[in-house]
Amino acid sequence: MSLNKEAIEAAIKARIVEIAAETGDDASELGVDEIIPATGLIDSTGLLELIAWYEKTYQIPLAQEEINIDNLGTLARMAEFVLRKKGLI
Amino acid sequence: MATAIYVPRINNNDDEVKVLAFDVAIGSKVENGQIVGQVETDKAVLDVTAAAAGFVLGFVANPDEVVKVGSVMLWLGENVDEAIPEPQETSLLRSTAKNSEITAKARLLLAQNGLQAELVTPIDGRITVEAVERYLAAQGGAKAEATKATESRATDVLPDVAGNQVSLSREEKGMAATVTWHRDFAVAGYIEIEYELGTWVEYAKQFQDKNGLLMPPLLPLMAWRLIQIAQEKTHLNATIVGNKRYEYSPVNLGFTIQAGEALYLAVVRNAQAQDELGFVNALGDVLRRAAGHNLKESEASGATIGFSSMERWKVTRHIPILSPHTSLMIAHAAGQGGKGVLGASYDHRVLNGGQVVAMLKKLAVPNKN
Repeated sequence: MSLNKEAIEAAIKARIVEIAAETGDDASELGVDEIIPATGLIDSTGLLELIAWYEKTYQIPLAQEEINIDNLGTLARMAEFVLRKKGLI
Repeated sequence: MATAIYVPRINNNDDEVKVLAFDVAIGSKVENGQIVGQVETDKAVLDVTAAAAGFVLGFVANPDEVVKVGSVMLWLGENVDEAIPEPQETSLLRSTAKNSEITAKARLLLAQNGLQAELVTPIDGRITVEAVERYLAAQGGAKAEATKATESRATDVLPDVAGNQVSLSREEKGMAATVTWHRDFAVAGYIEIEYELGTWVEYAKQFQDKNGLLMPPLLPLMAWRLIQIAQEKTHLNATIVGNKRYEYSPVNLGFTIQAGEALYLAVVRNAQAQDELGFVNALGDVLRRAAGHNLKESEASGATIGFSSMERWKVTRHIPILSPHTSLMIAHAAGQGGKGVLGASYDHRVLNGGQVVAMLKKLAVPNKN
């Protein structure tokens, strides 16, 4: 697994596209700085799926207080948060 | 090895019964299922049957003696000369390091059903009444009442068409147990109303922005409102056991979540002890663990009231099955024209339609205080 920002963003976006497809939505145009919940592309259950996948894929167990817009609101923030947690930035 | 016949429970409110008589004598041979005696309370008399074949070694209780439910009534052996075990070594009521993890009520329930503790899967390391009931439900019936109910059902047979039998997963077994309880005990009804979606959406948006939440908190906030209402109206957080209503002390909120192929009822225990944000976070925690298939046993059981939504699939009506020992499951669904749909499956033994409608109307509006 590649741990650079662009690769992480791409991997997360691919997962979001899959989750959105479950409810018939197309997230292929999602931008790296778009606030994910605000797009309406994935609902709260989809977000839970995404976060559970994110924790497992990047091996970063999250505390509930870390699950907020500032840390995980966009593709870019999610990627940066992985790198921060891994001590890579 | 000697086998104990335990004093059975006649009803849920009597922890002691009187031994009426024995129908067998010391040294006599007993068949599995044979009536060996009777016990009584002031309400009923019950035959006691042998759970195994053997020879009567001796009686621990005596006729007309009042004894504790779950204590040893008599001993059977493989032959007439077998020694009666020492009580402290064999009774299910004994206290040893090994079974110190079994609660007192669970021990009684084990004895009542003639079960060994080893058969039961602990919940978070402890064998509780809930763990025993879950085992019983998985066997196709629980307690005397459940046994009677299931005995009257036709035995299913394999279809006369080629196929394979596939073992159920833990989640599928849980679902089967839930549906079986609903079938055998609940007298289910369903009611729904429309509500103004905008009021709730606006409230949830403000709450999300104020607290910087990633997850849209609409459904958790509605669940929190349900908890508040259930504290005011204790009928909602209750079940029927025997001929009495059992009102739960805590509100254990069960929330359905589909995670891949598995459907979980993720449970926040003692939800009433949280404040609004605390509950939203606690529910988020258990739902996230459910989404990752990492629920603890205690988070997948023990619900006293339920909340379910199929709004994400734009379903406009769904009628949920009641979780075991609950009387209410909210059914949130998609509406049209700015309206949402709030439904409720309820156990008509506990709640009537008027009570459910009153609850739904309260739930339709956030409590902004």
